[in-house]
Amino acid sequence: MRNHKPVIYVVDDEASICRAVALLLKSHGYKVEIFSSAESFLAFKHLKLPSCVVLDIRLTNMSGLALQDAMAVRKLDIPIIFITGHGDIPMSVKAMKAGAIDFLPKPFTAKKLLNAITFALTKNVIQIKELAEISKINRLIKTLTPRELEVFRFVARGLMNKEIAQKRGTSLQTIKVHRGRVMRKMQAKTVTELILLAKKADINPSKN
Amino acid sequence: MKIQRKKNIKQKRSKKPLKREKSNNGGSFRLEKLVADLGKTGKDLREKIQQQAVQLRNINLQLKDGADKQLKSDEKIHKQNGELKNGADKQLKSNERIQKQNGELKNGVDKQLRSDEHIQRQNGELKNGADKQLKSNEQIRKQAAELKNKKGQLKNEVSKQLKAEEQIHIRTKAMEATVDGIFIIDAQEPDFPVIYVNQAFQKMTGYSKTEIVGKNYFSFYGDASDQRVISEIKNNLLQDKVFHGEMLSFQKNGKKCLILLRIAPVHGTHGIVTHYVGLQTDVTLMREKEREIEDQREELLHVTRVGKLAEFVSSLAHEISQPLTAILSYAQAAKRMLGSKDPEISRILSYIVSDDQRAADVIHRMRSLLKKNRPEMKPLNINNLINDTIVLITTDANVRRTILKLELEKDLPLVCGDRIQLQQVFLNLISNSFDAMERNVEPREILISTAHKETGMIIVSVKDSGSGIASQNIPKIFTHFFTNKPDGLGMGLSISRSIIESHGGQLNAKNNPDRGATFYFTIPVEPKTS
Repeated sequence: MRNHKPVIYVVDDEASICRAVALLLKSHGYKVEIFSSAESFLAFKHLKLPSCVVLDIRLTNMSGLALQDAMAVRKLDIPIIFITGHGDIPMSVKAMKAGAIDFLPKPFTAKKLLNAITFALTKNVIQIKELAEISKINRLIKTLTPRELEVFRFVARGLMNKEIAQKRGTSLQTIKVHRGRVMRKMQAKTVTELILLAKKADINPSKN
Repeated sequence: MKIQRKKNIKQKRSKKPLKREKSNNGGSFRLEKLVADLGKTGKDLREKIQQQAVQLRNINLQLKDGADKQLKSDEKIHKQNGELKNGADKQLKSNERIQKQNGELKNGVDKQLRSDEHIQRQNGELKNGADKQLKSNEQIRKQAAELKNKKGQLKNEVSKQLKAEEQIHIRTKAMEATVDGIFIIDAQEPDFPVIYVNQAFQKMTGYSKTEIVGKNYFSFYGDASDQRVISEIKNNLLQDKVFHGEMLSFQKNGKKCLILLRIAPVHGTHGIVTHYVGLQTDVTLMREKEREIEDQREELLHVTRVGKLAEFVSSLAHEISQPLTAILSYAQAAKRMLGSKDPEISRILSYIVSDDQRAADVIHRMRSLLKKNRPEMKPLNINNLINDTIVLITTDANVRRTILKLELEKDLPLVCGDRIQLQQVFLNLISNSFDAMERNVEPREILISTAHKETGMIIVSVKDSGSGIASQNIPKIFTHFFTNKPDGLGMGLSISRSIIESHGGQLNAKNNPDRGATFYFTIPVEPKTS
């Protein structure tokens, strides 16, 4: 990931803010994309690069908070740093609760902004890594047969081979064979590792 | 007669042969013929005689018949004659009787005549008396008419008197029943002595009628009452003027009582002031209530003013912070780009940064100085809040001739909110509705309704019949400084919206299909703690 320059998205309906913040961030070596509205930001084809959004909380049409919701709905996992001209406490609480990195009252110093950005990017890198891992796990899950997936779910729930056999109404031997195949296909060395994979992939163990 | 006719027929028979003898001179033939003719004529004669005999017999018979009848009638007449004679005898006897009776009658008539004379005399006397009587009757009639007239007049007067008494009675009763204190002062005495007070006056002052009547009216205000007001009242009265005002008085037990007082002079028949009549109303409770409402209104006004100023500063801060942010970022970017190339310019850029921050600090301080009081979030019933707020604006609504209608859903769950802030929003919406209906002819109507939505929200709406919102303005009305009112700041709705948002709700507006606009806000139901 080091070879890719992170990208910072700046969303503010005030053109001079966009321009000034973009200049500041560029001077610190970041790639910057600016947007004058939440809608144009959502329409943008986002790059698979470490990134974060510097987002004004009040925008002409769709507000910053509404954009935060919309991003959550679209699973657009980009950390958000809110900037605002109002010292709106209830709003900031709401934003922070919804997972914002920081809430900066205008005018903010370069230092404060850069700190928040560094934090956001670190978070995003981890997010990206996790995302990559999850997609890999999901890919592997797709190679399982329906019967193997069923056994995988039972194992993920923490059931012993004997219990699974009882539930499935098959022999213990058959279950052992299925489990061995699941471990191999999922590239897990231990049962603990397998359970962890299930958790990361958000396989609902209680699901049948 | 029959005999005569027989003779005539004999004569005719004898004449005819004579005539034939004379004509016999012509020959035998003629004679023969004559004989034949004679035979014939004889025959005819015989026949005729026979006929006449029959006739005669018939007549005889008839005559005999007539004679018989005559005889019978004669007998009858004879008989009748006998009867007549009998009757005449009787008549004679009766005549005698009548004569006798006549004598008696004559006797009686004489007596009668004598008595008539007497009667005539008496009549004369009577007539005389009757004339006298008639005259006296007339007099009596006249006197009766006069009496009747007088009686009518008396009756009239009595009924007038009764009516007057009844009216006096009603008026006295009404005065006693009046809830305002009524008193009458004798104006011709020097010390304003009271001559009448009603029940309410006694109740209001705590003194009884016997304690009051005859004493100086002004002594019943209590010793602690304001002497300046008293002398003002006295001056007014002495100048024949009406006094209308309020004054603090003290009851017999020392209790304070604020009274609204009206005293007017009463003029007698000669235009001289004879009495003063006064009316006093206990307005203590009314004024207290008014003061309470006034205080609440004041508080709300204060909060609103502070809120407006805070919002004003806040939006000013926002507007200024935008360029300050840009300037700060520009300067810091420039400094970064410049690096260590030019220390002089770098220093200048540092000054820009620090002065920018100084400006930002000023704004911060100003904002925190006017920071709205921390909202006091408490569970509250939105319907009660609306009812309490309505009290504050009823007078205003009456002055603007606006009808306020409430449609509040019963048993609404509580919401969590700051009472004063929510009242502020509510008042702002109503006051906007008032303004929107300013140019309305009638009807001016505001409908306030509440409802519990399934989404866990309570919706409060304020619907008016005003001019509505121009469609192009709908997106702008909630922004700062947007106003349609000549003296408006354009803060009300933006403050209201931020209050509602800070309560977790939303404030919106729409035009009604017919006329006017509806402003409605949602506010979440308080989650149940138990």
